[in-house]
Amino acid sequence: MSGARERLSFDARVRDALADPLLKVAIDRTTGNARTKRAAAMAAWPGFSSARELGRDIKDHVIAHLDHYLVQFERNARASGAQVHWALSGPEACDIVVAICRKAGARTVTRSKSMLGEEIGLPHALQEAAIERVETDLAEHIIQLAGDPPSHIIWPALHKTREQVAELFHAHHHDPGTLDSIEAMVASARRELRGRYLAADVGISGANFLIADTGAVCTVTNEGNAELTTTPPRVHIVTAGIEKLVPSCAHAMAMLRLLVRSATGAELTQYTTFHCGPKRAGDLDGPAEFHIVLIDGGRTRMLAEGLAEMLRCIRCGACLNHCVVYRQIGGHAYGSVYPGPMGSVLTPMLDGLPQSKDLPRACTLNGQCQEVCPVAIPLPTLLRGWRDRIWSTGLESVTVRQGFAVWRFLALHPALYRQASAMAVWMMAWFARGGWIARMPLAGGWTRYRDMPRPPRRPFIAQYRRRMPRP
Amino acid sequence: MSDARSTILSAIRAALGRRRGGSAMADEVTIAAEAEHLRARADATRPDRLRGGAENAFLERLVSPAVAATAERVASLSDFPAAVRRYLTAQGLASSVALQPHPDLLALDWSGIETHGQIGIDEPVAVGLALGAIAETGTLVFHSGPTSPTLFAFFPTHHIVAVETGRIWNWLEDYADAFAGCAQPRNVNLITGASGTTDIEGTLVRGAHGPGWLHVVLFGSAAPSPDRPVATDPPHFTSLDNVK
Amino acid sequence: MLQDSSRESAGGPCVGLFVSCLVDAMRPAIGFAAINLLEAAGCRVEVPLQQTCCGQPALNSGDLAGARQIAQHTIALLEPFQYVVVPSGSCAATIRVHYTELFHEDPVWRARAEALAARTHELLSFLVDIRGWLPKQVALPASATYHDSCSGLRELGIHAQPRRLLAAVEGLSLRPLEGNATCCGFGGMFCVKYAAISNAIVAEKAQSIEATGAELLLGGDLGCLMNLAGKLHRCGSRVRVFHTAEILAGMGDGPAIGEAT
Repeated sequence: MSGARERLSFDARVRDALADPLLKVAIDRTTGNARTKRAAAMAAWPGFSSARELGRDIKDHVIAHLDHYLVQFERNARASGAQVHWALSGPEACDIVVAICRKAGARTVTRSKSMLGEEIGLPHALQEAAIERVETDLAEHIIQLAGDPPSHIIWPALHKTREQVAELFHAHHHDPGTLDSIEAMVASARRELRGRYLAADVGISGANFLIADTGAVCTVTNEGNAELTTTPPRVHIVTAGIEKLVPSCAHAMAMLRLLVRSATGAELTQYTTFHCGPKRAGDLDGPAEFHIVLIDGGRTRMLAEGLAEMLRCIRCGACLNHCVVYRQIGGHAYGSVYPGPMGSVLTPMLDGLPQSKDLPRACTLNGQCQEVCPVAIPLPTLLRGWRDRIWSTGLESVTVRQGFAVWRFLALHPALYRQASAMAVWMMAWFARGGWIARMPLAGGWTRYRDMPRPPRRPFIAQYRRRMPRP
Repeated sequence: MSDARSTILSAIRAALGRRRGGSAMADEVTIAAEAEHLRARADATRPDRLRGGAENAFLERLVSPAVAATAERVASLSDFPAAVRRYLTAQGLASSVALQPHPDLLALDWSGIETHGQIGIDEPVAVGLALGAIAETGTLVFHSGPTSPTLFAFFPTHHIVAVETGRIWNWLEDYADAFAGCAQPRNVNLITGASGTTDIEGTLVRGAHGPGWLHVVLFGSAAPSPDRPVATDPPHFTSLDNVK
Repeated sequence: MLQDSSRESAGGPCVGLFVSCLVDAMRPAIGFAAINLLEAAGCRVEVPLQQTCCGQPALNSGDLAGARQIAQHTIALLEPFQYVVVPSGSCAATIRVHYTELFHEDPVWRARAEALAARTHELLSFLVDIRGWLPKQVALPASATYHDSCSGLRELGIHAQPRRLLAAVEGLSLRPLEGNATCCGFGGMFCVKYAAISNAIVAEKAQSIEATGAELLLGGDLGCLMNLAGKLHRCGSRVRVFHTAEILAGMGDGPAIGEAT
């Protein structure tokens, strides 16, 4: 695909997003709530900055010994009766999941929200295999009804206002009742999904943490849908990225403090569950088979290619909620599973840089994402890293490169620079009316939306020379 | 499949080897020592809120708007059925509950309440016994097993749970440490308030898919006292067999 | 590498003023205000005439080779001074934070970059933190609100200093700005490359500024201030925009950004 077309498509997506007034309302409502609650949680937690350093160090420790922890986790998971599978890529992981479903004779699977599932394309793979997929997380349920991809990693239906959700439920639910409040919408979804849990043959979940010393898989939810998804069916399948490990349950606890406060401002989600193996002798419920699919999907490449810090990410979404760009364009404009700052770092690795070169550049490098990140990922630095690669691999346009070459030449030759800037301000003054320039050739990006102050008659250095002649 | 395993592990070792600049891989003892050091650092990062003692802190957290459960104290577990009756009456609920098949619960006198051992997906009320609780977050702890099926905590609309005051850990890590090195149950469920969702506009609504109401009955303590000291010797179970 | 002591003995430290390419081309008043303030704070000010740009546009665009060349030019130019002061948080951060990163594989230049970084300061933080200076007998009866530019705030920790300085201006009342630490959408090349997104960000920011009811908007980075002033003017706002240095130097009764002289 040509670079120009990709560029156009990002611009087109942005145009659509900015033209949608409801989208902005929806984004502001959810991210506004999230920022307020997170700020309150952090204000009540003086230990945050040291906890954040600890979170970073725990993740770095695991990544530095990732092979050790993966092998330890696998050994303990197997000992608990889990079946552990390994997949190099998303398609390979989907094949494994579909094969398990087929072997179980599954016609219907319930799924508890997992961004990794979206990353590997599991919804599509299940559809291809003619296996019915029932999303049980409320937000995933909403976007499944709407046929939308997720637009946020914590709130996949963030782009929907409550009014739009009510419309969807009216159209699709069997017994919607009066959907005049968010409470009524939640109740309608509860009624709609209740029967589906018991009818499912397989339940699929993600993993927030993999506990190396027990082989357990930790999931966190507020709704309780994860346990309703994974307990009644005969088979439970976990898909997990290989970076999700922590040494022990106690380490997971330290990470949970950071994760939940950063995501929703709560101290702990309503349900934090450690799943360890299949149903035991005497158990009254639980799956007979418990499968864990460990997925690389580019993570070993991140380790090898300077993106190890990104493997710290615990998918809390705080960087999205605080990103000025995300807050204007929402998740879909990014055109990838992971939006916002963390997505702009991950997507070029997952989808390829040529297809996603706008993402690292559509950022003001203001640093707020790094400031709120609970594991101190230097997101602006990693985004700059992609910009470096865009430049060094020739993905930058010739016009821009030539423009920079001229500017650099001038910057290295002060005398010429002085002449050029004197000429530039003189020419700019031509377009000024009073103190402002409302339109000017080559400055459309600026003057389309804002006025440009009229430059002075002479640049500072020229004026300084005149006023303060050197001896 | 095993190909993917060895490819992934080799790729990790190659990448880590380069990052380490050729120096040897750390041995298990070194890794474990590093992990233990990280674990110890967590103690200094915890929010400070146990001044009134673990029991008071737990209750305070449990009924705070953030967790929004309801709670009461009774003298002993034998007072639990009366507490359940009071709750059912107060909420205008029928006197019929799914009773978690725990011997301590089954041994109680449930007269006046119809109890059953099977739980349905639309069960109005389930009555259970938690393994313990965590003061820091107002969390109940359940370990799945023959006497504690997982779904008792997820199917009902109202979940009424008894927990013993002597089984309240101060911090999340204290719970984790208590079971470190023990055989794990199939499910550990840490439950902090009734089910909820913020999926529509970030607004919290209770009763998403799990229970809409959580009522906790704390038993086995002396009369409540605000200056009860912090439990210095938190409960520690050396093996699951010690758990009632 | 330090300048000779005879220069310092003439009274106060010798400061090299790096005005930034934007101040040079678009708002010389900030450069002159900086000279006044530094002299008032007991410094001898020199303006190295060979200065051009710190190289930030190249750095942020991935042109590392170009950024390195410009950094070398700037390091060589500025290293004779005891202090280097820049009336811009983002240009100061480029020299203080990013020059050393550019030369992480070049020990000689890295050492030079580190030495310069240690002596380079943003103007407002230099006045407060290094010189312990506050304005005396500067009066401006007006209400103002303050935008914290991101580089200064997050890369250099500049937050309290401008407020302390402005609190010493007689008659000036500072009003809190909702989202004062939220980016204005300038972002250098970002604002023209992704103009529509940048516009949406700055439009929201302009509304918050209007909502304060303040007469003046102040800040410490000309790029952000031009973005904000240009948007405010396009929207018909009467809010006047100045660099903080201009106010401190008693130039608050002169023309604001975009006002004809």
